[in-house]
Amino acid sequence: MSDNDDLELQALQRQLDDAFQTTRPRAAFEDELWSKMQAGRPLWTRIQDVITGLIDSIREAPAVPAAAAAVVLIVAIGIGIVSQTGLHFGGGASTTSSQAGGAQYNASAPGAFGRLPAPALQPVPVEDAGGPKAAAPAQQSGTNLYLGPARLQWVGQLSVDANSAPVFRFEEPTSQDADRFATAMRASPAGKTQGTLGQYTGDGFVLAVSGSTRQPLAEPTFSLTPDRSRLPAPGPTDTDTATTFLTTHSAVPAWPNVVAVEQIADVTRVSYLRQFSVPGYGFAYLVNQWGVRYGLAVDLRGGQPLQATGPLPVNLATANYSIISPDQAVRNALGSSPSAPASAPTIRLNSAELVYALAYAGDHSFYEPAFLFSGTFTQNGTTFVKRVLVPAVGPQ
Amino acid sequence: MLADRPPFEDLYRDFLGRIYAYVRAQVATSADAEDITAQVFMNAYQAYGRFEARNTTPAAWLFRIARNATLDHFRAHGRREKLRRTIEHQPMSAEDPSNMAEERIQYRALLAHVARLPERQRDAISLRHSGLSFEEVGVLMSCTEDAAKMLYHRALKAVRQSVEDEMA
Repeated sequence: MSDNDDLELQALQRQLDDAFQTTRPRAAFEDELWSKMQAGRPLWTRIQDVITGLIDSIREAPAVPAAAAAVVLIVAIGIGIVSQTGLHFGGGASTTSSQAGGAQYNASAPGAFGRLPAPALQPVPVEDAGGPKAAAPAQQSGTNLYLGPARLQWVGQLSVDANSAPVFRFEEPTSQDADRFATAMRASPAGKTQGTLGQYTGDGFVLAVSGSTRQPLAEPTFSLTPDRSRLPAPGPTDTDTATTFLTTHSAVPAWPNVVAVEQIADVTRVSYLRQFSVPGYGFAYLVNQWGVRYGLAVDLRGGQPLQATGPLPVNLATANYSIISPDQAVRNALGSSPSAPASAPTIRLNSAELVYALAYAGDHSFYEPAFLFSGTFTQNGTTFVKRVLVPAVGPQ
Repeated sequence: MLADRPPFEDLYRDFLGRIYAYVRAQVATSADAEDITAQVFMNAYQAYGRFEARNTTPAAWLFRIARNATLDHFRAHGRREKLRRTIEHQPMSAEDPSNMAEERIQYRALLAHVARLPERQRDAISLRHSGLSFEEVGVLMSCTEDAAKMLYHRALKAVRQSVEDEMA
């Protein structure tokens, strides 16, 4: 088999991995099926599970007085039977409760999360797979991102000394998590619309919290909209104004970030671009599905905040994974477009960096290290940017 | 509960998506995939008391159930479905947009190529890319590990050829 053949098949294997790892049932299916399975169980086995779970939990808490435990047992059996008839997966007083807290793995062990879904840039739409395609999503800030097939060349330098990097995992937040976040911001529930985990009002602001979405790919987010008639005077700079606004609402990012300011029409966007610390490398930016850095953004108009939007704080579990070498990353990048037709443009990728990208996996998601390659080319007088994202985590 | 047997809830959580993807790669609609996946876990739930971790891995055990359920589906609907695939050359039929939004549309075409493979090749690709080792694939397909590898690589080349043919 020739080297080209080998590269093509490796690229195809990666695409198949991605295809299988990203083919998942609709979001509600997991809960629906679990409820159906629970409902189909004989009543006595459900009672047995509840009792077993409670006994286990009492064993784990020996200081609980026996009489109190007995009372809890009786009450909880009742609650358990009721809750299991319409059980939300992972909830209720069942034997699953000890696993539901997200502590079922040893987060410090290398590779503790098992096989990971591969992060990817926005895919080539199927109907456009055979020809050049440019996308101009709003997130591109005017950049023409080229998504079509291409013949790739590498003309840059990539040096990464680290041979492992942390992977971060978080569980999809619930409405209760959203409520807790809102409470910390001193906001009260104000109903819930479709697609959100909760909406809240506070003193001079409205807060909305949403869960992860697949398309566009996004982690759980919050958006904070102030009553503009009640804002204090702007600060000396846009960044000062944005930071003061976030501080007032206890929403200053707790993660490493770099502040960037850009003008979009009459809106000034102050972005706190999120970074992850990689031992032996430094800080790697988080990029979205188009390969664009992002984090928490505060939009200002006339020097006053319009809205702040950013990732909802979630508990991140960490596990180290081996990462591929820069040479291997380059090979993977060049092999990422194995079936490019002769008419496809030739693009010289001239920059690359270690980044982090979100990978969605249903009831949980990951921030995973990846190599982001970039290059530009001009076609019919228009300059396009080509980006290639290569998962950094090695074979699992 | 035996010490070497994980709680069924863990299996359910860990394997639901993988089993669904394995099934989805082979059947025409996400509704069929959901029905079969539901049947797989219902059967597994009932049989879990008899599962012995020392004889097989949970993955191999679950995928065996999934494979049997998929074969049952084809036995019941196979002729009609095969005919439709052949005529339409499109194994994943148009679906309700809300269902399509649940899947990564960009990979549908690739999985369609997998779905058009002969049964054993399709199975080898689907099992392998669902995360099974070649040893597990071999056990499930009643062949040696080496034979499973060869079958898989032939299938991989067949997928590539199918993609190239379509592009040409």
